[in-house]
Amino acid sequence: MNVVLDPSLTGLMGILLAIGVPTISAAVAIIVCGTAMAGVGTEKPELLSRLIITVVLGEALAIYGLLIAFMLISKLPSIKTMEAASKGLMAGVIIAVGTGAAGAGISYAGSSLIGATAERPETYSSNVIGVVLSEALAIYGLLIAFMVIGTI
Amino acid sequence: MTEMRKLAVILFEDHVDAVIRSLGEAGVVQFVNMREKLEVWKGALVPYEVPTGILTKCSDILSRIEASSRGLNIGPEELPSEEIPVRNEPIEEVLLGVERKLAELPAESLAKSSILLSRIDELAQALEVKLEGVTIEESLLEKSAEEVLSEIEHGLSEIEEDVSTSGLMDRKALADRMKALTLEERIEVGRKLLELRKYLTDTRLTFAKKLSRLRKIAEMVRQSIEAKTKLGEIREDLLTLRGTVRRERQVAEAEQKLARTAKTIYFEVWVRDAHVKEIVERIQKTTDGNCITSEEPIGHDEKQPTIPKPVPSFMSAFEKLTLASGYPSAHEVNPIPIMMITFPILFGIMFADVGQGAIFVVLGALLTYFKRKIKPEEAGDIVRYFLISSEMFILLGLAAIFWGFVFGEFFGPSGVLHPMNLGRIGPFYIGGFEPMHEPMKMIRFALLIGALHMSLGLGLKLINCIKERHFKHAPIPVAWLWLLWGGLSMWSYWGGISSISRWFAQGMVMLAGLVITPLILLVIFTAIAEGVMEGIGFGVEVFAETLSHTLSYGRLMALGLVHSVMNYLFLVLGGVEHGHFPPMSIPIVATGTVLVMIIEGLIVFVHTLRLHWIEWFSKFYSGEGIPFKPFKFT
Repeated sequence: MNVVLDPSLTGLMGILLAIGVPTISAAVAIIVCGTAMAGVGTEKPELLSRLIITVVLGEALAIYGLLIAFMLISKLPSIKTMEAASKGLMAGVIIAVGTGAAGAGISYAGSSLIGATAERPETYSSNVIGVVLSEALAIYGLLIAFMVIGTI
Repeated sequence: MTEMRKLAVILFEDHVDAVIRSLGEAGVVQFVNMREKLEVWKGALVPYEVPTGILTKCSDILSRIEASSRGLNIGPEELPSEEIPVRNEPIEEVLLGVERKLAELPAESLAKSSILLSRIDELAQALEVKLEGVTIEESLLEKSAEEVLSEIEHGLSEIEEDVSTSGLMDRKALADRMKALTLEERIEVGRKLLELRKYLTDTRLTFAKKLSRLRKIAEMVRQSIEAKTKLGEIREDLLTLRGTVRRERQVAEAEQKLARTAKTIYFEVWVRDAHVKEIVERIQKTTDGNCITSEEPIGHDEKQPTIPKPVPSFMSAFEKLTLASGYPSAHEVNPIPIMMITFPILFGIMFADVGQGAIFVVLGALLTYFKRKIKPEEAGDIVRYFLISSEMFILLGLAAIFWGFVFGEFFGPSGVLHPMNLGRIGPFYIGGFEPMHEPMKMIRFALLIGALHMSLGLGLKLINCIKERHFKHAPIPVAWLWLLWGGLSMWSYWGGISSISRWFAQGMVMLAGLVITPLILLVIFTAIAEGVMEGIGFGVEVFAETLSHTLSYGRLMALGLVHSVMNYLFLVLGGVEHGHFPPMSIPIVATGTVLVMIIEGLIVFVHTLRLHWIEWFSKFYSGEGIPFKPFKFT
């Protein structure tokens, strides 16, 4: 059977991926780190201002998705051919995979960072590297998705 | 700049307590933990063991004093340390003296009498009886207060026991049991109860009489003690004793850092240049000259404490951000003032907007004004952070305004302003374009800023190498700079990473000169300074780090774009076109601005911090220093 996809539908699927997966990744990261933070906050509230970085970096993932989705929407009128549509779809896939990986990294490294900081606050500056490097993964995905959109 | 000196002191065992006490009095030296350095001495020194039991004895006496103070309603207030007399004898003797004095004080009897009185009152309340005055035979008071009190305690315990066996306190249990009985049984029990009730009323009266008597005696004992002494004096004495014991405990704790030979004690202290003479004189005086003090050279790898430099209050937010990453080592460049410039610049690029920047400036000015009226320590958590960072808000706002002009943003890309062109260096445009429409120009600009920021870090590393006299390490940052800018020029000359095949064909000579040579030099320099394997490892690390850190500055573009896109969203919703704001759009744009400023402000702030902590600090800032905290009696 020969399936023919409509270019504008393919483009919309790219938008769906670009906004859907990053928001889920952000939600996972915030759910994991937010609950861990709430637990630590009952014992050592003075650490919360430093630990908030995990939740904010998690939230940033959704914003990257929003950015790519927005750029795709602004390109929708020019998506006429199947080639342009696949580029749009792939940009969505790239940001989805990038933020998914970053979300997993922030969830694991972030919750461990929070637990470790509650026990020994001086380890914070070394442990935070795991979280921020996980977050860098999303930035790499964002840059590439961006360049792909630029070629549409 | 005040320099730290290291003093080595040798003295006889007998003098150690007095010397440590005198150093604590001076409050300007920091002890080196000799336990961590014993290996250097290869068995010539052993750790100095504080005589066993001193610390336990301290806490023991302290809890006794605490108990007495509670009985006398003395709070946790402290005497100023000048009012606590300085002793010269060993800790054991001081503690013995304290114990003797404590035993002489009637504080414990007083406390005991108040505890007994309250116990009697509680029991009377539970029994629902009123205690009436009774007369007491005078002969009782001829005994000592302690004896009388223990007699009262004994009597009270007996009464308490009797009360619990008599079932007087168990009326509820009795009532419950009654409910479970049949009618006949109840009549029978009721008859018995009438008898019992009479008996119980009698017993209660007896108890009341006994309790009244005990109470009266306890009161009289208390009065007689109070007549002999003055409560104020006891209070003063207790506070002095508490201060003395706490001080001795601190001395004993400090002594755990010392080392010893068979008969002498050896220790090292850090002290400021200006205080060396005073400290040496102090030690000489306390030991009557029977000691040796000498200034030791500071080892090359030795961690010396850093004197915390007070920063002006407008820098305090940046100070907090820096110290959260680690404390500067002694000779390191202090990054706080530099961060005060770079932090707003990076923030402003991501948050470029004239209107929102102006709101930040106004907010910062208001907070600065209120900071003088409200004390930050008294405000709530979030308000306190805002107050501390009030000046930072102004700086961030100014930077946002500047970059807002450069990228032409006024409450988003509304068309009110046009981008300002500041110039062009090769393929790098500085301003003159709208990031939303020409993102590739923006990403090049972001990478240029990243390279500049990292170069600043590498330059500071060079300064640190020279300041710390690690001359063998000094060529490393130079070669690194060469690699960074070489790589960047390769990238811009050959038109981006997509034409990488040409780098290795026509551009081979250039690649060798700009990338491969500095990389090899880096390996060689590190190998000379640290060893061959470290050199190779470092070479790989530097290559990966240069690439990934430069790319990481791409977030300047990403977040800058996110910021304008989010603003643009609300501009579209409000129907703003070509710089014309229809009246209906104002509430929508205002809501959008508040949302964007809160969410984006937080995200951009965290990312700016991250760029400083990870990409910038990793180039030059060790953050491994220890603050200079002199040993001082508290």
